[in-house]
Amino acid sequence: MTPRLFQRTASAVLVVLITVSVLFPLAWMAIAGFKGRNEVLRSPFQFFPDMWRFDNYVDIARDPEFTRAMGVTFAGALIFTALSLVVNSLAAYAFARLEFRGKRFWWVYCVMPMFIPMMAILLTSFMVVTKLGMLNTMAVLIIPGVASGAQMFFIRQFYLGFPVAVEEAAMIDGASRWQIFLKLFLPQSAAPFVVMGIASYLAFWNAYVWPILTITDPNLTQIMQFLGTFRSARGNDWGMLMAGSTLASLPTILLLLVFQRFIVNGVRISGIK
Amino acid sequence: MGKRHIASAFAVSTVLVASLGLAACGGSDEAGKTADGKTVVTFWQQQFEDYQQAWFKKQVDAYNSSQDKVKVQIQVVPADTWAQKLKAAQAAGNAPDVATTSYGNIPAGAANGELAELDGLLPAEAFTDIKDNVKSFVTINGKHYAYPMLVEPSTVLYYRKDLVQAAGLDPANPPKTWAELSTWATKLTQGKVKGMTIASVPADLGWSSWGLQYNACGHLPVADDWSKSVASDACFGQLLDFYKGLYQSGVMPKQPKVGYADGSPYGNGEVAMMAGGSWVVGQLKNEFPKMIDKTAVAAFPSMDGDQTKPTATLGGWTLSVDGKSKVKEQAAGFIGWLLAGDPAIMADFFKSSGFSKYTVRATVDQALETNPDATADPFMKTISEQVVPFGKAEPAYPWEIALAFGTAIESAMKGNADVPAALKKADGEINDIIKKQSLAGTAPVR
Amino acid sequence: MALTPTLAPGPQTADAGRSARGRRGRVKTPPHRRDNRTAYLMIAPMVILLGIFVMWPLVYSVYLSTYEINFYRGSTFVGLQFYRYVLESPDFWHSIVVGLYYSALTVPAMIIIALLLASFIKTLSRRAAAFMKTTVYLPTVVSTVVASVLFVLIYQDEGVANWLLSLISFGPVNWLNDPQLALPAIAVPGIWLGFGLTTLILLAALLDIPESYYEQAALDGAGFFARLWYVTLPLLKNVLLYLFVTGFTLAIQMIDLPLIMTNGGPSEATNTPNLYIFNTFRDVTPYATSYSLTASLLLFVVIGAISAVVFRLVRSDKAIDG
Repeated sequence: MTPRLFQRTASAVLVVLITVSVLFPLAWMAIAGFKGRNEVLRSPFQFFPDMWRFDNYVDIARDPEFTRAMGVTFAGALIFTALSLVVNSLAAYAFARLEFRGKRFWWVYCVMPMFIPMMAILLTSFMVVTKLGMLNTMAVLIIPGVASGAQMFFIRQFYLGFPVAVEEAAMIDGASRWQIFLKLFLPQSAAPFVVMGIASYLAFWNAYVWPILTITDPNLTQIMQFLGTFRSARGNDWGMLMAGSTLASLPTILLLLVFQRFIVNGVRISGIK
Repeated sequence: MGKRHIASAFAVSTVLVASLGLAACGGSDEAGKTADGKTVVTFWQQQFEDYQQAWFKKQVDAYNSSQDKVKVQIQVVPADTWAQKLKAAQAAGNAPDVATTSYGNIPAGAANGELAELDGLLPAEAFTDIKDNVKSFVTINGKHYAYPMLVEPSTVLYYRKDLVQAAGLDPANPPKTWAELSTWATKLTQGKVKGMTIASVPADLGWSSWGLQYNACGHLPVADDWSKSVASDACFGQLLDFYKGLYQSGVMPKQPKVGYADGSPYGNGEVAMMAGGSWVVGQLKNEFPKMIDKTAVAAFPSMDGDQTKPTATLGGWTLSVDGKSKVKEQAAGFIGWLLAGDPAIMADFFKSSGFSKYTVRATVDQALETNPDATADPFMKTISEQVVPFGKAEPAYPWEIALAFGTAIESAMKGNADVPAALKKADGEINDIIKKQSLAGTAPVR
Repeated sequence: MALTPTLAPGPQTADAGRSARGRRGRVKTPPHRRDNRTAYLMIAPMVILLGIFVMWPLVYSVYLSTYEINFYRGSTFVGLQFYRYVLESPDFWHSIVVGLYYSALTVPAMIIIALLLASFIKTLSRRAAAFMKTTVYLPTVVSTVVASVLFVLIYQDEGVANWLLSLISFGPVNWLNDPQLALPAIAVPGIWLGFGLTTLILLAALLDIPESYYEQAALDGAGFFARLWYVTLPLLKNVLLYLFVTGFTLAIQMIDLPLIMTNGGPSEATNTPNLYIFNTFRDVTPYATSYSLTASLLLFVVIGAISAVVFRLVRSDKAIDG
């Protein structure tokens, strides 16, 4: 009994410690949103504001440009996440399980983009999307990033670990590769999909340079573009930036709360039994 | 088997069609006309202080409603992505018709063909109104490639009168030499308040020290015809010693929170003196109004006390027309209206800047003479009489040269190299840049 | 229990060409039929999208890099001149070293912290685990800009870091302006921003390991570290490979933190490859455009080469296979 009690206490202490160290910066950001424009950077370090002002939060929440940017970015991020999971998991399955001619070549072809620095193709990919008439559309924000070597790689690594016995049985029963993918693999992909989905979502949400290059239509302004308006070499509006960043992080936190439970169960085993 | 493949092919093509469909829909065409037949002129403004964004937007609206032929579309572009956005647009052939261009970028822009000649697009009188020294900033081989908007001295000295008084120094008699400045900075370092702040990272030192490079040597670390480096001249050693002394004696913050261009540490009372651009006046007025009464400005001290030597470069911004613009005439028309037209428009700009920037046209000066705010402004008088007349143009050589010299100053400050070694390294790098970029003899004729 | 033998990591069939490694796997591999059509259909969306938005731009960039690029007056063919300039530049190589050092500081630390955290979360009750899963991920929602600013404040002379040091009567330390300390100081927010996703990935992978393996190991008398070494790590190999490769490619390309926190200084100690490239891009001259384009292509070669080595190393690690 006593060792168990000790273990539980130790766990609890650890949980609290980790939580505090992780939440400190987040809390600082949220509280800095209540500070004046130039109070944020003041030395010596001060956690709480001199005076709690709500104007930053109120001004931003009331700004129609902010709510529109949040909505547009959120919608784009969801479509982006869904599309990229479809495209990349299909390829991941093929690379994990199928034998085909030129597989090694196509594998290198699909994984290589991970290693390409953005600056290497910044000008030329912009030329491509311009030629395709994609400037100032949601498509230019979504489509070019959908196929992701990293994401495909991750899902493929996961699929590699899936047991082959069940698959064999299914194939003896006459199931096609497509059916195996849809009926055996997809149902067991919740955890990797959630993890990669969150990563995709955040990549879209945090995109800054690409939207600035491709979007001039105020109706499509992305959230990081909007927050960028508080920054300038000649003095940032820190209070607004912090309040805006805090509000902008809320949808992500909400999604996280909803989807974290899919990372609980090793669904695999129960799924197979 | 066949049936299944049809099904799968269908699934795949659905995804593709959906993707491409997304691409196709809403692809609004930025052709040169609005629905009601006005010519569209695109205008990219680099993001500056908030009041500038507001002023540009207001004037663009005013211009658009003042006539029915042209519609100017303004786009504010953050400074940190400006180069990427502009070059990407140039590569794709959709650069903006009008853009903000700094004086330093005009020679290279003109040489590349990026900037259109404005003579012929603007009336000749527009150019005769420009002050002579500034006219040379926008002129290459006798042709004008941009219309100037303002000048901003890169370096002036700001100091806290109250703290100076308390330290037993005379606020009416600011330091004249670098040695005196160091003494002041030492005396003003009290407790948590540091005596002084000045640039300390290469990216800032590269440009903010130009004026002091002129001050120390009478020239920049490159020969006038750009044929070779002169960075190892002994006079630059004294400049590096000056920076090194300030840094190593502990009178300035060693871990700056913001860049040189941002005056908020001074505004927050963390330092007693600041080397800063004239634009900080505007920042103080807008964000730290309580500091205004306690603050005085002076020309930055000179190496030997000679107050007629340059201490600052006159940076600043112009509007230029893209070399490939299809609507050059309309684009120039807008620039003419905004910058070269009714002096009251630009007078309004300088007023909203808190007189932290300086005019480039004689007629705008006249308009401001009748403005009591302008004539009563204590900072404006000092800066326009003691700094601007001695200010130099920003160099037109590649930024890498400036950066190499800024790196030399930094390594002297932070003790990574002794002064002669730092200069020798910069000297080698600058010569290398000159060689690789074939710069010898390409210095623009202004 | 009957299923357990087949639950071992499947053969890595991705690179069909290599048979050296296939011997062990072949036993469990289903009889492979060649599925060319199905496979091509499955990879088609990805291949086509990458072709349009990545591969074609890449090929075109390589082509452009042989020119001194001028979009107005026409570009001049210069062959491999810019490759020579970049390869000769000590600053370029210095930035690669900085990038590698930064990766070495962040990637292993991040994976170890994440592995410990994930193992810990796995032992928690359902509700506590739900709470922790969300909590560890929260840093990731903070943008790099905000994190940079916060850590600049933390590292100030009178900031939190020096206050902590003063408790053990040390310091104050000039964190961001000491060439020795600046990069490690920047690595801390780098780890802080990245370990959330790493933890979730490892947690998902850990949860995938059947409990029966641990039960068996426990029966054999294996302690915590023995279980970690003989059960957990071999089974995490696939995911760890992923984490090392992506962690490295992201780390060596870090730009925001050094840009905001130190601007590459002091004395270029934090001048990461992308920051170097970003700064060389800034001039309006054709030279600057071509030079930075070439430098970024060469950075791609460096990252690709190192990643290829990592792929090979992880694959041929006999200790794990045995």
